[in-house]
Amino acid sequence: MLARSTPDLPLKDGQPNGGAPRRAVSHATQAPEPEAVPPSPSIDAAPLVDIVGLSYTYEGERNPVLENVSLSVKPGEFVLILGPSGCGKSTLLQVMNGTIPHSLRGRLEGKAEICGREVAATKVTSFATEVGMVFQDPEAQIINIRVRDEVTFGLENLCRPVEEILARQAEALNFVGLGDAGECSIFDMSGGQKQRVSIAAVLAARPRLLVLDEPTANLDPVGMAEVFAVLERLNKEFGVTILMVEHRVDELADKVSRVIMMDQGRILFDGAPRAAFSRRREAHSEETEIVPTSAWFPQVSEFALDMARATGREIAPESIPLNVREAVALAERTLAEPVGQVQTITLTPATAPAEEVEPGQPLVSIRNLTFGYARDKPILRNITLDLASNAIIALMGRNGSGKTTLARTLIGINPPPKGAVMLGAKDISELGPKEISAEVGYVFQNPDHQFVTDRVDDEVAYGLRVRDYSDEAIEQRVTDVLEIVDLVRYRVRSPFSLSLGERRRLSVATMLVLEPRLLVLDEPTIGQDYERAQQLMKLMVRLRERYRTTVLMITHDVRLVAEWAERALVLHEGALAFDGAPHDLFGQPALLATSGLLQPPIFEVSAQLAARHPSRVSAPTLSVAGLVRSLVA
Amino acid sequence: MSRATVFQFRSGSSTFHRLDPMTKFAWLLSISLLAFGAYIAWIQILIALIVLGTALFLARITPAEIRQGTWPFILACLSFFLIQSLTLPGKVEFFHILGKSIYADSADYALAAALRIYTIILSTLVFVRTTDPRELAIALVTQARIPYRIAYAFFIALRIIPTIEEEIKIIQSAQAVRGVAKQRGLAGRIRDMKRYAMPLLVGSLRRASIMVMSMESRAFGAYPQRTFLDPPKMGTGGRVFCAIMVAAVAGWYAALAFGLVHAVYVFAPA
Repeated sequence: MLARSTPDLPLKDGQPNGGAPRRAVSHATQAPEPEAVPPSPSIDAAPLVDIVGLSYTYEGERNPVLENVSLSVKPGEFVLILGPSGCGKSTLLQVMNGTIPHSLRGRLEGKAEICGREVAATKVTSFATEVGMVFQDPEAQIINIRVRDEVTFGLENLCRPVEEILARQAEALNFVGLGDAGECSIFDMSGGQKQRVSIAAVLAARPRLLVLDEPTANLDPVGMAEVFAVLERLNKEFGVTILMVEHRVDELADKVSRVIMMDQGRILFDGAPRAAFSRRREAHSEETEIVPTSAWFPQVSEFALDMARATGREIAPESIPLNVREAVALAERTLAEPVGQVQTITLTPATAPAEEVEPGQPLVSIRNLTFGYARDKPILRNITLDLASNAIIALMGRNGSGKTTLARTLIGINPPPKGAVMLGAKDISELGPKEISAEVGYVFQNPDHQFVTDRVDDEVAYGLRVRDYSDEAIEQRVTDVLEIVDLVRYRVRSPFSLSLGERRRLSVATMLVLEPRLLVLDEPTIGQDYERAQQLMKLMVRLRERYRTTVLMITHDVRLVAEWAERALVLHEGALAFDGAPHDLFGQPALLATSGLLQPPIFEVSAQLAARHPSRVSAPTLSVAGLVRSLVA
Repeated sequence: MSRATVFQFRSGSSTFHRLDPMTKFAWLLSISLLAFGAYIAWIQILIALIVLGTALFLARITPAEIRQGTWPFILACLSFFLIQSLTLPGKVEFFHILGKSIYADSADYALAAALRIYTIILSTLVFVRTTDPRELAIALVTQARIPYRIAYAFFIALRIIPTIEEEIKIIQSAQAVRGVAKQRGLAGRIRDMKRYAMPLLVGSLRRASIMVMSMESRAFGAYPQRTFLDPPKMGTGGRVFCAIMVAAVAGWYAALAFGLVHAVYVFAPA
């Protein structure tokens, strides 16, 4: 057996301590001598991923999902794969351990060798010691209930000796910072902890290649930071090769060594991160619409590109910043240049959305709301606030802080106490589902949960039918709304046959058709790329303009909040910790820390510049364009 | 805590938590067999009290949790008891109501039947609540010699039930937001299920597919056998307990067969 390129992970005091003291362990079955996996013919310097001209078509489909993809990844690389939904990113990852073509059947053409083994000729289980796979949803990939059982699961399957299993369990849990959590129930853990357990579970087999498919999609910023910190250490300190699909580039850009951008099953760009984010290119969405690749750029790189445009100068790829520190340095170089050398051009000013506070009764009025599923365990604590009409409001906070519980109270799924939540002049506790849904819409994270019919147009018409609208009125309104969400051409199709983006739009349309006064969006960015989230928000703005609807979005995405919301509400342990403008929120680092939130990168950059150059940058800003204007003025 | 979460394993240190899964399984089976063989009310009351005592003192399930976990069954059993008492013919008149005779033997039979259902539900709660599904699966492999792939399929099924229940709740909420009210009657229930079925199926297939990928990528099924850490073992105490349960069941059915058990009416006429 060849030596592994991955050094052993460090053991604390050389002792297993991944759980409580154990009684004597034994082999319950006659474990065969680990036969193991045939030795890999590759040498360490050889690429771990060697793919040439790979095409793949799912069984029963006509068009290939991957088309003539060539990719070589050497040991120690940290590769970030970007691209719009449906471009083949996840499919490519599934080739890495033979899930394609062995579990997900289809037509595979071209050469794919992973860790020196031909994928088509190697079973998925044989890759277990070479390739570790981590998926998006920790709930779905976790098999066991107790942490230590999850971590030892793979090694038990590999029939490793008990002593080795215990040692590796301890080292893997220690590495992800959960050394004392072996006996804990995974279902009592936070999202970030669960995902760290998933990583420990694959690390225990000491894979050479770690493959992750959007591992932080369901996590709050703190959970995301925990996971990224673990990955960075694995790569930098232990040389583990990482291949990851992830949309949260702001926190990753300076950690990865290489970026691959995909478009319609092909590789559009493959190179260093600075080169990747130095030029805007075009890709295509699942619905073949044009998507600018800048949709996935870190905000600091966007800032550099806008600065270059504003000053009329080219920016070399090696000067593209990947983190806040580099962006500040770039800005300071610009500020150091003598006035007159900076050629200024007019930038379109960012239109800051304006909250429209109407005199009189608020749309929703919440007074001293305390709510819990068990009497002695309130989830919401004494919340008092008003929501005005015609506003976009962000509801933020850690996972488990009560955001979804509050939102569900607004639509009557959680019954509020009498008089605590007023919808206009009506007490929501006295209204039925039909009455509430006529005024309040709720777009769930997973659009599939809301579909109740077999056709797109019936789906939109459903809410009108249960309210006894005439057939003519239904037809008219359904057509109008399908045009707004650009789904008229699919009106006779099954909702489940649409792409994710289209299903999201259909889900919004089912709410839109009732012209709600309040629309709640539950995590609009989860499971979606940035461009899709932007499209959804543009749709919300149209909704607001047309019907004066207030949009309340539950989100962790600080860039989305900075860009679209005029008001932010932050919940901390069920209590309202902040109610005000996003700009004011991001200026309170202590509050952000306790609420598990981060500042948008451009806010951090502008705050540092404002502290050092108050004459040029008077105050921190949430807008890239705003900061560029200050700097080139 | 919802009913769904009461009916799932919670780690603990009660006597029942410390028993090995196969001993608890033998207990569950024995209680079920005893309950099925008992058509006499006072015996069912005795068995129900034993199971209740086990739940409270040996499994450390609180009265509130028992109530939360079993109240729909209490209502169902109560309805069953009333309907049966009112409709079953009997020989020994207990009392008269609205010109109708209620018979002591009918009421006793109805009480026995209702308690039988409740006893089995309550003993299942004790078993599920105190038995780690993974340990049960391992015990099935190591003690009952069931192939580990089959045992794990059983474990995954138990493990995934709360997740599916949670998903059904989300789907119900999501559809309620559309103005869909829960429908009444059998036909309404069927229509509800039809509406929930497709989103549930799509979600469950997605989860199942990820779970399979996650298991395969960690070498599940790579070898005919696997190592088990800390396999549960049936100790001497467990063996003695099982022997007592087997003896109790055998004795009970023998007593029934030889006509040694006699009915003493709980609802005896004054």
